[in-house]
Amino acid sequence: MERKNFLRSLIIGTVSTSVLVDSCKKDTDAITATGSSTTTSSSTTASSSSSSSGSSTCSVIETETEGPFPSKTPASYVRSDITDGRTGYKLTAKFTINNSNNSCNPLSGALVDIWHCDAEGNYSEYGGTSMQSTNYTSVHFLRGRQTTDANGLVTFTSIFPGWYQSRATHIHVHIYNAAGTSLKVTQVCFPEGTGSALLAVNGYKKGMTGYTYNAQDSVFSDDSAGLELATVTGNTTDGFVLSITMSIPA
Amino acid sequence: MTARIITLQYRKIIDVNAIKQWDKLVFEDSFVEFKMQAQNFNRGTPFSSYAELIRNIPHAERLTGLVTPSITGYVQQLDSIVPDILNNIGRRFLKFNQFKFELINSDMNDKSKHQVGINFYSNLIWHETVGNYLLVSNYHHGPDAQLKPQDNELLTHLFQLQPYLNICAIKNSI
Repeated sequence: MERKNFLRSLIIGTVSTSVLVDSCKKDTDAITATGSSTTTSSSTTASSSSSSSGSSTCSVIETETEGPFPSKTPASYVRSDITDGRTGYKLTAKFTINNSNNSCNPLSGALVDIWHCDAEGNYSEYGGTSMQSTNYTSVHFLRGRQTTDANGLVTFTSIFPGWYQSRATHIHVHIYNAAGTSLKVTQVCFPEGTGSALLAVNGYKKGMTGYTYNAQDSVFSDDSAGLELATVTGNTTDGFVLSITMSIPA
Repeated sequence: MTARIITLQYRKIIDVNAIKQWDKLVFEDSFVEFKMQAQNFNRGTPFSSYAELIRNIPHAERLTGLVTPSITGYVQQLDSIVPDILNNIGRRFLKFNQFKFELINSDMNDKSKHQVGINFYSNLIWHETVGNYLLVSNYHHGPDAQLKPQDNELLTHLFQLQPYLNICAIKNSI
């Protein structure tokens, strides 16, 4: 392109959008002009030299072959196997969600987030703001998200949770509508007593000394109807299956 | 000048004005995740902005770590090449091996206030400064990763420091 035409095209662009001018001016203040554009006016200088800020509306496109093209990628929470190498007895967890505002019919398309602690009683993702390596060593073990099917069902593969002080063994569940608006935050507890999975697992290496049972638990002690109590079958050899149906108003 | 090893940090800011496709995807998905995760913290309070949450709600600073998994898939798509930053012949050239996501501002009820940063970190050998440009080469770890002195040729890049680029660490090369 002729230099004159090039400059004219930049000026036209500048006049037509005041937003562009403002954003380019910001860059002009901070950047030293480069290359062939040093003699042009300040706003055109910035628009032809800046490549820095992702929020800038005048970033120069790379002079490269097109692509790779970004594609929509779900959050890495979206998976059904949330084990991430954590050791423990296998647990298949099935949550069925129905809508109490719709004759308790299955609620499809809802997002179900679950998270629980590992065999030692520790949660992932509480590190906060540290640097991450691009090899993505697991930073959100035992956390996952699924969308309910036509039957309102989601299924996760995980390990039987351990426990920590002052709490009974539990799984956190947060149910959202498809737009991400919270519908219900709750927790699921485990059956206790003779023959229960809880006793079979026996708190892993911790044992059960000092364990808080459901009746003493700050969350579950008022659940006299047992709405938060899951059904758990299986054994330590084959693994366990947890099932619970939850009614929520949606 | 003695060659030095530097860590270059590019802080890519993404907000509602994002125009590139990758930036838009990161903006949209990190906002939805913020909105979802913030609802674990703001129950029973009138707080909806990130600033209010971290000022008033214990442990709300965990939101950064909790929102990060919404964008790791997009960081992966970059294939270890820092976006936006070009060398003097107009190509992306910076390799990164670490990144850090940050929430800058957000409000679960107002997407236009959502603003995030992704910090990319690159290890480089800084050989010379030529005018306004730095002459650098990629720094690789490991005993045989660098060319031996007698090879006396190294692939280099010439680039200019610019806004949102920072040298955040430096050490003398061995």
